[in-house]
Amino acid sequence: MSGTTGAGPEVPGIVCAFAVTRTPPDAAALAAARGHEEGGPLRLVRAGGLCLVVQDVPAALFDQEALTERLNRPGDLERCARAHHRGVEAAAGRGPVVPLPMATLYRGDPTAARAVTDRREALEALLDRLRDRTEWAVKVHAAEAPPEPAAEAGAQAGTGAGAGGRAYLSRVSARRRDRQGAHDRALAEAEAVDAELRRYAVAATRHRPQSERLTGHRAPQLLNVAYLVEDARRAAFTGALARIAAAGRRPAVRIDASGPWIPYSFARWDEDPRFGPEAPAAPDREEVRS
Amino acid sequence: MTDLDHGYPGLETEPYGPPSGSLADLLERVLDKGIVIAGDIKIDLLDIELLTIRLRLFIASVDTAKKAGIDWWETDPALSSRAARDALAEENAQLRQRLDALERAGAQTAGAAS
Repeated sequence: MSGTTGAGPEVPGIVCAFAVTRTPPDAAALAAARGHEEGGPLRLVRAGGLCLVVQDVPAALFDQEALTERLNRPGDLERCARAHHRGVEAAAGRGPVVPLPMATLYRGDPTAARAVTDRREALEALLDRLRDRTEWAVKVHAAEAPPEPAAEAGAQAGTGAGAGGRAYLSRVSARRRDRQGAHDRALAEAEAVDAELRRYAVAATRHRPQSERLTGHRAPQLLNVAYLVEDARRAAFTGALARIAAAGRRPAVRIDASGPWIPYSFARWDEDPRFGPEAPAAPDREEVRS
Repeated sequence: MTDLDHGYPGLETEPYGPPSGSLADLLERVLDKGIVIAGDIKIDLLDIELLTIRLRLFIASVDTAKKAGIDWWETDPALSSRAARDALAEENAQLRQRLDALERAGAQTAGAAS
C-alpha cells in the first residue's frame, strides 16, 4: 500500500506521522485530505495489524532546526497545528485512532513501522479504549460581573451606631468579603459543573487553565477539562451541558464547550508502556507545571 | 457511573471536527497530548520549547487583541502593579476581617443584652 503513491522513499526522506489506526481510511478519503501544505499526499504505512497515516515532507522545512524556528513563529505554528489535525482527522474516518503529537517524524517508512510494532500492545489497548468515544472540551470561567449584595452591607453598617469610621471599615470589609464570596461561589460552581459532567463521561482530565490574556476574558478561567464520552452517551452529555450552561442555573460562572474532538487528551501514557490511570495522573502534572 | 462496555454497532461515524474550538484548544491537544513515539530524528518539544511557543503564542494573541482595539493591559497602570496591590489588599482584608469579627461579636453581645 505504501508504494502506491509513488512517493515511497527509497532515498530516505522525512516521514511525518499523524495517527495510528487499525481501520485505515479508504484511498479516496485519504486523497481528499491534506496534511502539511509543503508535503506530499497522505498515505498509509502498514505495521503489523496496525496502520500509520503519514506524509512525506521536505527535509529543508522539517529538520530540527527548521522546524524549531518555524514553530516559534505563531503563523507557522498555527498552520502546522491545523495541518496535523487534518492528518489525524483523515486517519479517523473509519474507526478509532491514536493521534500522535504534532511533528512526529521518521527518516523513512521502515523506522516508522518499527516504532509502531514495538509498541503494538499499548497501541491496541489505547485503540480499544478510544473506540466509539470522543473528547469534549469544557472551560469554566468566573462570571464577568459577580452580583454585589451591597444592600446587605449597608444594612449591617447601619447597626454601627452611626460611627463613621467604623461604618466605613465595615463597608469596605463587607465589599471585600463579597468579592471573596463571589470567587468562592464561582469555584464551588465550577467544581459542581465538573462533578455533574463526569457523570456522563468515561474519563476526565484537567488541562492547565488558560491565561486571561490567552482567553481574552478578564475573568479567570477556573477549570479547563477534557471529558471522554461514549458515543452512546453523547446526547446525554451535551444535554447535561446545555442544562448546566442555561442562563441562571450557575450564575457565578460562564461555561464554554467545544467538541466532539478526536480524543487527543486520552491518547497518552507518558513514560510507562502501560497507559496510566484514567483521570488522576494527567491533572497533577498539568497543574504543577503552571 | 458510566459502564465501560464498548460496541454500539449501529452508530454511524460522524465527521470529527471541533467547530468552535480555538487555536489554544487545538495546540494544547496536538502539542501536549498523544503518545510520543520517538523517531530517529529527535524533535523533542521539551518544556523549554513549549514555553517559548506559549510565549510566542501569547504575544500573537496580544497582537491580535491590539488589532481589535483591546489593549486594557497596557492602558491600565493598575494591572502592571497588580501583584503588589493584591498582596497589600490581602493583608488589609485579613486585618479588616479580624476587626469585623470583633465588631460583630460586640454587636451580638449588645443585641443579646437589650
